[in-house]
Amino acid sequence: MIEFSLNGESVRTDVDPNTPLLWVVRDVFGLTGSKFGCGAGLCGACTMHVDEVAQRTCILPLSAVAGKRIKTIEGLGDVENLHPLQQAWIEHSVPQCGYCQSGQLMSAAALLDQNPNPTPAQIDQAMSGNICRCGTYPRIKQAIQAAALAYDATAKEGA
Amino acid sequence: MSIKNLSRRRFLKTTAVVGGGLVVGFSLFGLSDEPLPVVTEPGGLVPNAFLQFTADNRIIFYCPRDEMGQGVMTGLATVIGEELDVSPHSMEIVHCEVHSDYANPAMGIQVTGGSTSINAHYMPLRQVGADTRALILAAAAKDLNASLGELNTEDGQVLYQGQTYPYGRFIATAREMDPVTGAPLRRQSEFRYIGQLSRRTDALAKVTGQADYGLDARVEGMQYAVLVRSPVFGAQLLSYDDSAVLRRPGVTAVVAISNGVAIVADSYWHARDAASQLSVQWEDTPRSSLTSEQQRFELIAALDSDDEATAVDEGDIQLGLADARAQIEGEYWTPYLAHAPMEPMNALVRLGDNDAEIWLGIQSAQAAQNLVSRVSGIPTENIVVHNLFLGGGFGRRGVATHVVEATEIAMAVGTPIKLMWSREDDIQSGFYRPASIARVRAAVDSNGVISAWDVKRAGGDITPGTIKNLLPAIFPSLPTGLANGVSSTVGFLFSNLSPDSSSVEGLHENYNLTNVQVKNSSIDHGVPVTFWRSVGHSNNAFVTESAMDELAIAADLDPVELRLKNTGDNPRLNNVIRIAGERMREMQLPDGHHLGFASHGSFLTDVAQVAQVSVEAGKIRVHKVLCVVDCGLAVNPDIVRTQMEGGIIFGLTAALYGELTLEAGRVKQSNFHDYPMLRMDEAPEIVVIIVDSKTEPTGVGEPSVPPIAPAVANAVFRATGQRLRDLPLRLVV
Repeated sequence: MIEFSLNGESVRTDVDPNTPLLWVVRDVFGLTGSKFGCGAGLCGACTMHVDEVAQRTCILPLSAVAGKRIKTIEGLGDVENLHPLQQAWIEHSVPQCGYCQSGQLMSAAALLDQNPNPTPAQIDQAMSGNICRCGTYPRIKQAIQAAALAYDATAKEGA
Repeated sequence: MSIKNLSRRRFLKTTAVVGGGLVVGFSLFGLSDEPLPVVTEPGGLVPNAFLQFTADNRIIFYCPRDEMGQGVMTGLATVIGEELDVSPHSMEIVHCEVHSDYANPAMGIQVTGGSTSINAHYMPLRQVGADTRALILAAAAKDLNASLGELNTEDGQVLYQGQTYPYGRFIATAREMDPVTGAPLRRQSEFRYIGQLSRRTDALAKVTGQADYGLDARVEGMQYAVLVRSPVFGAQLLSYDDSAVLRRPGVTAVVAISNGVAIVADSYWHARDAASQLSVQWEDTPRSSLTSEQQRFELIAALDSDDEATAVDEGDIQLGLADARAQIEGEYWTPYLAHAPMEPMNALVRLGDNDAEIWLGIQSAQAAQNLVSRVSGIPTENIVVHNLFLGGGFGRRGVATHVVEATEIAMAVGTPIKLMWSREDDIQSGFYRPASIARVRAAVDSNGVISAWDVKRAGGDITPGTIKNLLPAIFPSLPTGLANGVSSTVGFLFSNLSPDSSSVEGLHENYNLTNVQVKNSSIDHGVPVTFWRSVGHSNNAFVTESAMDELAIAADLDPVELRLKNTGDNPRLNNVIRIAGERMREMQLPDGHHLGFASHGSFLTDVAQVAQVSVEAGKIRVHKVLCVVDCGLAVNPDIVRTQMEGGIIFGLTAALYGELTLEAGRVKQSNFHDYPMLRMDEAPEIVVIIVDSKTEPTGVGEPSVPPIAPAVANAVFRATGQRLRDLPLRLVV
């Protein structure tokens, strides 16, 4: 039996501990927002946060996340309470087919959590593990920059 | 407007040309008399195949085309919503099921592709919207005891004497009334949504992880399956040993089907993990030793043979060459490419005694339904296709062989089956953009006029294989033997008796050519090929636009001027070339940056692109792309921009990296480490200029792909002096 925190809730499962986290989250806990793209940690469609760090969960065995905090796209924000990045994604018409976007958003959120004011080069570096076959990169970059500005404004208001 | 007792159950038949010339009869748009596959909610009104008004005032739009990222749900909701007077954001938009009313008017079958959706539905869906609004208004006039002239509408509400009434208020009366036909359409100056709206209707679902794709479908009692296929295309299974597989956890069955050996388990992971333990023998075939070098050698040999079909032969090439101020000759190579949509192929099939359901994302839901029927014997009318969001299509999801696989496995094991392809399956067992080679001889005279244009292309052809797949999919009751017979007969027509239009498109149409010859030699290497975003244009614009650049340089002419001079008969293309050329002259370049120009018309849309490129440490870097597009009236200008951006990045992946190679009959590449995709740090800044137009809208999903590879190649020549005639572009160091 392995226990971990999933979007703030404590969960446990007795599935094969070698099973990659992606399939546990999708098939055992029914959260299907995270996607399967390559099965080899090459495309980023399966990106979740493990203790606040963006990780490729298609190659991360369940046994490696015992006791850790997992956040998925479903925990980033929801329809009533969008994360600033999700809001920016909508305003900049980022998604095309949309399949990779959960992973893109989780990578972007991990970036802004660590660096609320990234340079374009830092955005490139943080996002280059996520492939988008529809070619939404220019929009993703604009949306991250816009969300960073919103972060910044919120921070200044708070100060 | 006429409100008459006109039945919409008419049987007007017409014909359409599909792909390379297959003629199919089909009912006129929305006029079939088969029952609609729409569940009418209690108290709801379904006035036609595309709309439902519910008692609780929702308006549902059954989108006839498949959303694979191109924005078709937003676009078609905008088109029907304009005349219905309902904002696309006020509708519930869902994929339709299978029905002849949902046939693509451009093709006659229920297929999404060829950048046809907006163009083909622009007038028909507007008419459906206008007629339905007229029906609601007629009912409102009756219910409110008002005259039509006193009523107006706004975003799903009827306005009368300062009050607003939702359309749903009048559906009980509307249900009893005769349908309206021929209601007048809005003038462009009155448009509220077309040309105005920018945000996509599916963005919220897609940023919150709530959008459902085929991968996300589940049904009670389902098991997961993976399939081990022959690594050599078409090789038959000889034997297999499943004893090690059956000992793996979660595995419930191993079954041989027509296309390989399926491992069935309680989870995808268990099935995939166990598949590596399968020991399997395949037959040796003549293809088992095939290599890419041999293929290329054979294609070059075909250029020199006279086993060929002529697409165009006008004027006199020799005369044109004799007149030449400058002449060029070159051979251009384009490799096999996988589509690699981010969502690997998958299908969930549930078979009942005499009914079935299938969940997947597909560009050809009708083919999926027919193939389930063909394999299972269940009649098509009892098969429901739940079409979900497509995690990318690019042509790959027009092919439905995975539906056959899933159905065969479900029949063998007796439970619902979710078949999932891996990325390796996608790269190695898929359908591909054909490889091709083209030899060009071209000349320009002292007036800057192209005096000779002689092209021979050799490579695989898409149409014969497509027909082979399409026939059983269109006619599920056609016996297999007959279907195969007809397929091989039709396929034979393309073996150099008649050129496959998909193979030669884009090789000559853009320019005014008096002495022109285009020939095709069809070579079948047994590699399954299909439509890949922009199809033949993706190979052939590289040929044409590289050759045009070479011709300009050879004749010491400006490449933009050469194109302007020779596109007089093609004013829309001429105009985008002119605009892009003017912008190009204004571009400020840092040291070491160089510009390349290319233009191309495809899918009724014209595009010109300028690529700003540098070569640093032997690596080609694309910094900026200017894209000028004329697609007629832009129904949603921001989606047009995103399609231009996305197509350019898709085309850049092909230009810089895209290549599949064969070794011992097997595809050598397997995943994104050796079949790389452009990533964010390599993506250029893209500036899109949409030409202001009032003519009917044309395709935008594909036309930005073809020009980018030659635009970059032409810039690389200016940067390095190297003329790269092979894709992907590789510098000689």
